[in-house]
Amino acid sequence: MEVAHAYVAAYSHRRKGSARLSDPTLRQYIDRRVEVALNVQQAGETIEAELDLPIRYIDRSRAYYLALGYDNPYRWAHNQEVPFVALSRPLADSRVGLITTAAPFKPDAGDQGPWAPYNASAKFTEVYSMPIKSLPDLRIAHLGYDRKHTSAEDINSYFPLQRLKEAAAAGRMGELNSRFYAVPSLRSQRLTTERDAPEILDMCREDGIDAAILVAT
Amino acid sequence: MSLTARHLEANGIPTVVMGCARDIVEHAGVARFFFNDFPLGNSCGKPRDLESQRGLIEMALDLLEAARAPRTTVQSPYRWAEDSTWKEDFYRLDLTPEQIAKAREEFDTQKAILKAKLESPRG
Repeated sequence: MEVAHAYVAAYSHRRKGSARLSDPTLRQYIDRRVEVALNVQQAGETIEAELDLPIRYIDRSRAYYLALGYDNPYRWAHNQEVPFVALSRPLADSRVGLITTAAPFKPDAGDQGPWAPYNASAKFTEVYSMPIKSLPDLRIAHLGYDRKHTSAEDINSYFPLQRLKEAAAAGRMGELNSRFYAVPSLRSQRLTTERDAPEILDMCREDGIDAAILVAT
Repeated sequence: MSLTARHLEANGIPTVVMGCARDIVEHAGVARFFFNDFPLGNSCGKPRDLESQRGLIEMALDLLEAARAPRTTVQSPYRWAEDSTWKEDFYRLDLTPEQIAKAREEFDTQKAILKAKLESPRG
């Protein structure tokens, strides 16, 4: 049985006071995770901190939303096949495009400043592009970043335009494209795949982009 | 973001994704992933720290050139802090019933705002 499904099943059984799952290892794993999710006395089992492993965001977000009582955790995109192309010319001769999920500051859309809480009002819902000539005022209050440890007060930590301009000036790439592109983050893989990514591709082709840097937040 | 990178790559444009969530990006599967083990929101370096910001861009560009196969992940050498206790805090589960109620209310509110934006013609 797939762990994710078993987990949800175990959660709802547990709440009804009955749990029957045959695989003892899986049973034990699920019991422990659900216990953590339901037990308000116990701190989160963050083995990543203890062993300095990368955080398992998929696992944690599932446990978190189950703990909140939602029984339909987000299913992250998963692919077996991964496309790959090499640079068609040296980077020093290539035109590079920058792609972000950051949003232009909107004065009427609530708090988007340092330490702002998650703010869906500040989201943009369609692909956009802007010139790189001057530094745009882009924010990430509409995204799920780590609000305990990240203030989002320095745009360079999530939108590396200035650092890329410096790299281009130093000859590290042929040129930085004269505009950057932005993809909305709407929790809809269908919208991203069928609507937004093709629009980004069209703009990259229009501009003759040879390679792209995409920053995830 | 991974899905957009995949689409570009499938159509002949080489990409590198910079990010802090290793499991999410690798689960989606991208050609080149430059993984920076910092709290989410700092894919391109520490705030006000030129050294990490410059270093990370330099290494992401190196990866763009050097990768020879898909799913090539390179991990940044920078550390967020000397210890790794920051990793305890994201999506903590030790919530009181009051905190759970508040988090639910907030989640439902934000979800409704997004839904309304998506349904309105101007976003």
